[in-house]
Amino acid sequence: MSVWLVIALVGLGSYLFRVSMVLLVDQFGLPEWMGRASTFVAPAAFAALAASAIAAYAAGLDLLQAVPPLGAVAAAMVAVRLTGKPYMAVIAGMPALWILTALAGV
Amino acid sequence: MNTTTTLGPAPLRADVLAGVRAMGPWLAGVTPFGLVIGVSAAQADIPAFAGWLTGPLIVAGSAQVATIELLDAGAAPAVVVLSALIINLRLVLYSAAMAPHWRHRPRWWRLMAAYLLIDPSFAVGVARYEQPGERSRADAHYIGGAVVLYAAWFAAIGAGVVLGAQLPAGLRLEFVIPLFLVGEVVPKLAARATRRAALSASGVAVLAMAVPLHLGLVIAIIAGLAAGLLTKEAG
Repeated sequence: MSVWLVIALVGLGSYLFRVSMVLLVDQFGLPEWMGRASTFVAPAAFAALAASAIAAYAAGLDLLQAVPPLGAVAAAMVAVRLTGKPYMAVIAGMPALWILTALAGV
Repeated sequence: MNTTTTLGPAPLRADVLAGVRAMGPWLAGVTPFGLVIGVSAAQADIPAFAGWLTGPLIVAGSAQVATIELLDAGAAPAVVVLSALIINLRLVLYSAAMAPHWRHRPRWWRLMAAYLLIDPSFAVGVARYEQPGERSRADAHYIGGAVVLYAAWFAAIGAGVVLGAQLPAGLRLEFVIPLFLVGEVVPKLAARATRRAALSASGVAVLAMAVPLHLGLVIAIIAGLAAGLLTKEAG
């Protein structure tokens, strides 16, 4: 399956989700658990994506080489924790990655 | 209670503009996200235009990130589609919430309005629908906010794609998305149920990395949802 078809299928599925209840709500109710589950979809998906991406990034590295990406993640978490602003993760994390990479000489 | 009458162009124009203004704070947040998605699409191993096309076709940042990341990682197509659609399941809930407000509208209008439905437009729209007054004015408010949101979103992704293609690989911009995701998760760790959902999902994601076809991601998201739901029920 090509990249184009994958993107088109995700787009089509997403649109069907958007329009589903708008057209069908008169005939079907919504399960109660689904409403509660929606609270956790974004954090669970984001956490899973972040953890797997970071683990994949650091997987082939030795201890010294792994310091910059893991240090960048730590800097990002501290920055967001202190400021409460999600975008601070990138603002603090990327410079930390560059500086630690330069210091480690990797 | 809301009512439906035919209004002239002047009040409707004012309501459209009010919707645009209400969307302003959201634009400050989503525009950098769009730029990041565009940059990551340009750096990923997919055609740059395909990366931009995730904007108008999927129109949901988190699902776009998952799609681009998994395609770049070489995941099986079914896993990419399934993962992105799980992330977008919340759109069914938004659809259900908007359905009563749009029931009076013709089918073509509802089909069009549904395309514009995503977190910021839902929030701006619902806030106006909850106020008393003419229903058609609330519709105009929703459309005004949603259209400016989508225009800004597509432009930001496009700018990111153009910018990202010109940046050197030494900048390691492939790490922007993981950091962005960390930033989205950390503030949500304060609530116990959400924290369990996020920690379970991240732990399972790492443990399940060896699962073929990148199915570990789907397993991890489901594990996170289950952990969150169980914690909620226990609490």
